Amino acid sequence: MHIMVVDDELIIRESFSLWFQKSGHFVETAESGFKALERLEKDAFDVLFVDIKMPGMDGIQLLEKVKETYPNTFVVIITAFGTIETAVKAMKLGASDYLLKPFKPQQLTLVMEKLVQQKRLSSEVDYLKSHLDRITRFDNIIGQSQVMEKIFALIPEIAESDASVLITGETGTGKELVAKAIHAKSKRNPFPFIAINCGALSDTLLESELFGHQKGAFTGAVHARKGFLEVVSGGTLFLDEIGEISTKMQVDLLRVLDEKKITRVGSSQVLDVDFRLITATRRNLSERIQKEDFREDFFYRINVITIQMPPLRKRKEDIPLLVAHFLEKYSQETNKHVDHIDNDALCLLKNYDWPGNIRELQNAVERAVVLAKDRTLGADSFSFLQAAYAIPSKRLSLQENEREYLRLILEESEWNVTRAASILGINRVTLHKKIKRLGLKRNGQ
Amino acid sequence: MTRNKNAIGVLPVGFVPDLVLSIIASNIEAYLKLTPEIVPPFDPPVMAYNNNRGQFDAGKMIQAFSELDLQQYGKVIAVFMEDLFVPIVTHVYGEAQQGGKFAIISLFRLAPNPSRVNSNPSSTLYERAVKIALHEIGHLYNLLHCEDTKCLMHFSDSLEDLDATPIFFCRYCHRYFQTALIH
Repeated sequence: MHIMVVDDELIIRESFSLWFQKSGHFVETAESGFKALERLEKDAFDVLFVDIKMPGMDGIQLLEKVKETYPNTFVVIITAFGTIETAVKAMKLGASDYLLKPFKPQQLTLVMEKLVQQKRLSSEVDYLKSHLDRITRFDNIIGQSQVMEKIFALIPEIAESDASVLITGETGTGKELVAKAIHAKSKRNPFPFIAINCGALSDTLLESELFGHQKGAFTGAVHARKGFLEVVSGGTLFLDEIGEISTKMQVDLLRVLDEKKITRVGSSQVLDVDFRLITATRRNLSERIQKEDFREDFFYRINVITIQMPPLRKRKEDIPLLVAHFLEKYSQETNKHVDHIDNDALCLLKNYDWPGNIRELQNAVERAVVLAKDRTLGADSFSFLQAAYAIPSKRLSLQENEREYLRLILEESEWNVTRAASILGINRVTLHKKIKRLGLKRNGQ
Repeated sequence: MTRNKNAIGVLPVGFVPDLVLSIIASNIEAYLKLTPEIVPPFDPPVMAYNNNRGQFDAGKMIQAFSELDLQQYGKVIAVFMEDLFVPIVTHVYGEAQQGGKFAIISLFRLAPNPSRVNSNPSSTLYERAVKIALHEIGHLYNLLHCEDTKCLMHFSDSLEDLDATPIFFCRYCHRYFQTALIH
């Protein structure tokens, strides 16, 4: 702790200094309130021990000024002539404690223990606040490439309006992060941000999730339940994989967007809703409109503003920055002090195509950190990528190629189908079908 | 006389029973591997007595030791039967110059009943006196208070705390002490 003792008596200042130095605290002294304020202008102190009776500016006046300008600095009032009135006044003005000289050693220990604890808590709160800030502002989207700079510039502008946004881009390019950033920068940020992956839900489940249902509306609906369109009230609804929803659901959502009203499944009561819609897709919706797979009117309704997220292979200059970010993240999470990556490894990462984009890069760094033997990652830490990049020695049919590639990704994901599907940019059901069709089996099974 | 930096002078201030001094000296040798030597007694300096408080100012006592001819000792631990204080607190069991040469301990509050200190010193008192002495010597070698409650350098603000504190350093303070001895 950085402590300042403010007392006009030299012997008291010295005595305090010697006492606290033995516990490793950094102690400075000031002989008056004026000198103390001068010191405070230059340096931050954790705690001030302030005598009440001092010529010029007394301890209570100093307490008032300190709390006004440096509210996070603890002030402990000390006096040889205590009264209940001054004690009450000091505590009302924000003093952390009030001690009568001379103190019992236990009193001083207790006060210091309490202040150290409070400082730890307030540091923790500050850290959590800044961390929360990092994950809710778009500082969390990493990149300094030109294409990303344009997106960064666009986000605050889009956030100001209430228009629907369609974010397109391959899987793993950070579409949801951009949606969150728009929400965080918008006037809707005090209200919820709700993300739903439409591709993961069947039509009826999605309907029930979005619109809610009345008790008994269908088998299993044992309680009435609010849908996300109600819950999100005032906030932002993010519908990922919007290209996967049925045409019936497109019609239902189009009506909600036009009328801003819903009815729960099994109910006739009309409810007002207020939300901003942000959607995302990795599909080319224009092509699907031509094939009549997707409704044109719904497309134009959700596509007022479009953001195109670039794939990682088109912004390779961001790879070192992203790697540094993930290294820091996973070193902290795994407590493994892996904080360097050598040039060969970086070169390898830059030459790889990243079909799973940033998510795949993130997984690769996480895997390399978990398996790292020392603090620097080398090219051999990413040998699993080299294997993926290797040119097959013999010419294979398209199906054989597909089979080998799926096996590689599944091995890399340790047969975690969800993770593999996400890298491959297909949904889990499709991957399961392919595994079955191609007769893929986990080693040893 | 040449100075042996590992020689510790055990200095009685006023009357201190020989047994107490011997116990402290033998524990300094046993636990700290230093070379203690009991030196002739020194009369308590009058200027260190505070009439208002009826106690001796530990800081002023230490100041007075610097005028003694104790060149041959690397460090000096003084032992005193009277009550000690420093200006900000009501009393101290001991006081040391952080990283300096002189320290002092008081036996006044260490007996189960302070009034019996002269007549019936118990083994508890000896053990407490040794812990305080070794702790203050730790400060002379620039060791700071340790957060580990199972370390001799943990700060004890009561006799209960002192009794719960072990007579040896934690491994970190032990390492620090060994390094300080070499340098």
